[in-house]
Amino acid sequence: MKIWKKLGLVALSTMMVLGMAACGSKSSSSDSKKHTITFMYRGGEDEKKAYGQAIKQFEKTHKNVNVKIIVTSADNYATKLQAAISGNKVPDVFYIEQNNLLAYVNNGVLKDISKEVKKSNIDLDNVWSYGVNSYRTNGKTVGKGPLYGLPKDVGPMSLGYNKTMFEKNNIPLPDKDKPYTWDQFIEVSKKLTKDTNGDGKIDQYATGFNVNWSLQAFVWSNGGDWTNKNKTKVTINTPQFAEALQYFADFQNKYHITPSAKESQSLDTYQRWMKGELAFFPVGPWDLSTYNKLKFDYDLMPWPAGKTGKSATYVGSLGIGVSNKTKYSQDAVELAEYLSTNKKAQKTLVDAGVQIPNLKNMAQTWADDKSLKPANREEFLQIVNDYGRAMPAATTYNSEWYDVFMTDIQPVLDGKVTAKEYVKKEQPKMQTKLDAANQQLKATAQK
Amino acid sequence: MTEETVVEKKKKTFFHHDSKLYRDEHRAALLMIVLPVIGFTIFTLLPLIYSIFASFTNWNGLGEMTFTGWRNFQLMMKDNYFWQTLGNTFYLMLGIPIGLILSFLLASALSRGLKGTTFFRVVYYIPVISSLAAIAIMWQWAYNGDYGLVNQVLALVGIKGPNWLQNVHTVKPAIIAMSVWKGLGYSMLLYLAAIQSVPKSFYEAADLDGANAFQKFKNITWPMCRPVTFFLIITNVIGGSQIFTEINIMTPTGGPEYSSATIVWYIWQKAFKNFQMGYASAMSMILGILIFIITALQFYVNRKSDYKLS
Repeated sequence: MKIWKKLGLVALSTMMVLGMAACGSKSSSSDSKKHTITFMYRGGEDEKKAYGQAIKQFEKTHKNVNVKIIVTSADNYATKLQAAISGNKVPDVFYIEQNNLLAYVNNGVLKDISKEVKKSNIDLDNVWSYGVNSYRTNGKTVGKGPLYGLPKDVGPMSLGYNKTMFEKNNIPLPDKDKPYTWDQFIEVSKKLTKDTNGDGKIDQYATGFNVNWSLQAFVWSNGGDWTNKNKTKVTINTPQFAEALQYFADFQNKYHITPSAKESQSLDTYQRWMKGELAFFPVGPWDLSTYNKLKFDYDLMPWPAGKTGKSATYVGSLGIGVSNKTKYSQDAVELAEYLSTNKKAQKTLVDAGVQIPNLKNMAQTWADDKSLKPANREEFLQIVNDYGRAMPAATTYNSEWYDVFMTDIQPVLDGKVTAKEYVKKEQPKMQTKLDAANQQLKATAQK
Repeated sequence: MTEETVVEKKKKTFFHHDSKLYRDEHRAALLMIVLPVIGFTIFTLLPLIYSIFASFTNWNGLGEMTFTGWRNFQLMMKDNYFWQTLGNTFYLMLGIPIGLILSFLLASALSRGLKGTTFFRVVYYIPVISSLAAIAIMWQWAYNGDYGLVNQVLALVGIKGPNWLQNVHTVKPAIIAMSVWKGLGYSMLLYLAAIQSVPKSFYEAADLDGANAFQKFKNITWPMCRPVTFFLIITNVIGGSQIFTEINIMTPTGGPEYSSATIVWYIWQKAFKNFQMGYASAMSMILGILIFIITALQFYVNRKSDYKLS
């Protein structure tokens, strides 16, 4: 029961912070002109700074609005936001994680901002449709219906390669439009995996993929998927899926192109990549500010393609939503619009190297700019526009069913269980959880 | 009036309930009592009552609550993860006896008046005052399969250590080792105080009777430390059943195949990640009741515990 004391404390302290913010808004609104809205968001250091700056610019154009910022670390965000919601102190504007959209909408937390956005003449066609559609919902499925938020960003997960390493080993650089086949990928990887200093220990590897963030690309490009389209059936129990998972596990167990068999934490392979000891590594837009400072040259390429012959990967997104209970809905919506679609704000954020532009035309200019690194930034845009997909659990009521898959997967990666056995054993477990999530969705959608 | 009666009268008015001084003091006392009571009510009692209510609903933490009777508790009985995380939590408590034995030995060693006792006391106490989150992060690095300090040391003697936190069989012992290390200083200090407060005359009497060192330990030192042992067991069991921070930091996904997920961690997942606040409340009710039963049992077993030497 002490847990409740702890959770209660978290909730209450959050409320206190928010309460103070609310008090602030009351006192300043007494002069009827200037008032305060709260904005809750999360992010790493660079991101916090960049958004802080963009908000200052917003305040300059909205003289009567004072934006109170509540910023948390990425890990704490969901907990703190939910505590605020339970305590009835919802911030006026806040980030929405994709997989929480349905729950927030069906429980009346988020405001339908369709009308406001329409009125403000924002050219939504110039914003990534994946980004906008991620925040449309009719309460049952995501993708169509009223608008409940605007994209804070879209996050295409591309594949990077160490260009310097390729050149040193006289291997032709990967084509930026024609993906490797799986066999080609292994072939190149084997050439790049070697002992560079002659001490008998391999110190340069090809891959070091974290299963959580990389398996999707292989499964999808092989024609497999976690669920059917309607998100009602778990479909991991297919030959294509099993083959892709086996291929992924074989990187370390059969082909030995990934460091240490027991290795799976991304921290270490991340460090190897940064030290220039890995040939391939996933790259998201938020990585650019860090990776551009690395000592070696790198570029982006399409993910290796399986049976479908087409590259695949996921594209994430965070949204900016407005509270259903906000007192200053006009200003709140304007802040969301400003951060999502204002040119000046976008420039600030893109220059900080934390995201790609939300505006299509701006993104094209950014991708064409020869002075920026990495050269093939176009790949990001292609992913968003073309072949990127949402994470499997991004549009289900909760992600419990999907988490089960990742929780139990270690034996497959260690080569103790074959992929075929695994998908057969996991499917019913995941199906039960998915059914429960859909049940929950149904119950809230009816209200 | 003699002087004596004046004093008597003064005394009387002072203690009389109508005196101003008495009332002021009384008010101050009430104020002091009221603060913690308010705190307890707001931060413990109300949330507790609220969560008892929530445990009978399908509340998702956002919207309305619908009463569902005993459904959450029925679901729990069939929920494998509930049982697994509960089992993990008890498994991790294996660290409690280990910690107690080690800290008792350390306290005995330090109570012998060796040189540098203060130094060692400080050394062992540092982990206690350090932030748990910081310690968990530090140990997470130490346990790293490739670069970790633990495996580097093992490599010196030719053992290839596992990837501690990613292996089903090593993740729990690894966390136990960390918790023991973290709690050692606190238990040691309490034991040290207990050992040093045993009257010397007991040992002198035992010497006269020709008792050897083991007999003295068995019949004097250990029984005299029993209240401390009791206190430590109770607080450790209560704390141990709520272990969360180190789990969440060291194995944010509950470890390989949920092997390090504890019950509180699972409750937290359900409540804040999967929108099942009602179910989470129900589990915490069960956890609360379990802790209560275990503690009551310990009090019962230990009801004869006092300073009497047998």
